[in-house]
Amino acid sequence: MRIDKPGAKRGVSVFSYAGDYGVTMQLEDILADIHNMGARGLEILANSHIPDYPHPSEAWVERWFELLNKFDLVPVEYGHWVDSRLYAGRELTTEESLAMLVRDFKIAHMLGFRILRTKLGVIDETLTPVQNWKEFIQAALPYAEKYDVVMCPEIHEPTTLDSAMVQEYIEFIEQTGTKHFGLNIDFGIFREKKLPKDDEKGRPPFRHSRPEELGLYLPYVYCCHAKFIEMSDDLEELYIPYERIVSVLEEHNWDGYLLSEYEGFHRGEPGYASDQVRRHQAMLKRLIGE
Amino acid sequence: MLERDCIQSRGFQNTEKDGQIVGFQFTIRSLYYRGLWLSQLRPATVWVNTEEFGPETITWTIKRQTYTHEEMAKCGDIHWGLLDLATINVEKPGGLGPGLYEIRLSYTYSASYLPPRIDTLLGNQTHVRKLVMV
Repeated sequence: MRIDKPGAKRGVSVFSYAGDYGVTMQLEDILADIHNMGARGLEILANSHIPDYPHPSEAWVERWFELLNKFDLVPVEYGHWVDSRLYAGRELTTEESLAMLVRDFKIAHMLGFRILRTKLGVIDETLTPVQNWKEFIQAALPYAEKYDVVMCPEIHEPTTLDSAMVQEYIEFIEQTGTKHFGLNIDFGIFREKKLPKDDEKGRPPFRHSRPEELGLYLPYVYCCHAKFIEMSDDLEELYIPYERIVSVLEEHNWDGYLLSEYEGFHRGEPGYASDQVRRHQAMLKRLIGE
Repeated sequence: MLERDCIQSRGFQNTEKDGQIVGFQFTIRSLYYRGLWLSQLRPATVWVNTEEFGPETITWTIKRQTYTHEEMAKCGDIHWGLLDLATINVEKPGGLGPGLYEIRLSYTYSASYLPPRIDTLLGNQTHVRKLVMV
C-alpha cells in the first residue's frame, strides 16, 4: 500500500458506471477499470453496490477486502440515504431516521469507510432538508463517534454555497464542535452552462456558485464529488470550470479525494462511462499536477 | 449478468396452483440506480397487448418472498437491489397461450432526496418488451 500524500487526490464514484453495473460489468470489472486509470479513491453507494444490502454476507465482505487489496484502492466515501418518504403519506420520525443512519454507520465501518455521503430527505425545490434533520443528526453523533464516521450531506445543484441550508449546516458544526458532520461538495454547483433540465417546469431559476467562493467552506469539506457532464477529445470538461476549482483547492491546501462522478447525457447507458471517466481522470491528473 | 431492459426475457411463463394455470409471470430488474426499499414502490399496472391488469391482480416476488402491494407498502427494511431480479406475478385464470406478446409495465416510487413533486414522476415511464411464451 502506498501512503496517501496530502493534497487533492484522485478517486472515482462507482455511480458513474450505473449503466454498466450488472449488465456489462460486475463490481470487479469496475474496480479494475478505476485502478487502471491510476485512481485510488473509491466511492460506492451502499444501496446500489452492496449485494443483499443492508445485510451483506460474510463472504461478500471478505471479497470486498480482497478486491480493495487486489486493485490497491482506498474506501473513501460510502453513499447512503435517510429516506424520509420511505412510507407513503408520512415522513420518517426522528427515531426511525436515527435507526437508518446507525444501520449504515455499522456497514460503512465494517467495509473500511470513514466518510459518508449522507443524503437527507428534502421538502422543496431548492432541496431544503426535512425539518427534524438537526434532531436525528444530533442524536446520531455519539454513534458516528463510536463507528468513526463523518456524515457529509452533499451540496448539490440547484443548491448554492450561499444558501441558508449550507449556512445552517455550518452553524450546526460550529455549535456542536463535532468532527462527525461535514460537507461533500458536488462540483455541479459550479456548472456555468445550462442543461435542458434547468428549464423544466417547477425548477428554481438557474443559478450557480463560483469556485472562488469555495475557500471559506473548505475547512468543513471532507470529500468532493467531481461531477462532470461531458469530456471533450481535448480532455476538457465542457460545463464546469475545473481549472478554477482545483486552483482554489490548492490555494487552501485542501486535503482529500476528488471522486469522478459522471452524470452526462449517456448516464445509465452501457458503454459510455469507462471512456468518460478515463478522460476525466486524465484531466484531474493534469490539473492536480500528479 | 442481466439484460439491459427492465423487463427480462428469461422468466416469462405461466404460473400454476393446485394443478391449475392461474396466471403468468415475468422478471424485471431495477433501472433506478440505487434499487428500492419495497415501501417506496407504488402499485404497478401491467398490460398484455391491449388487456390491462390492475394492481389488485399483481404480486411481486423479491428475494424468494411474495408480496401484495399492501404488504410492500409496510416493508421499509427489505431492499430490492440492482442485482436482484423481481418477479411480477399476474392473476389470469388459464394463463397465456404460446406466442409473442407485447408486455408493458408501469410503476412509480418515492425518492426522498428529490423535491416531493418528483415522487409521481420518477420511474413514470412504461417499460415495454415483446416476450415469447414458449
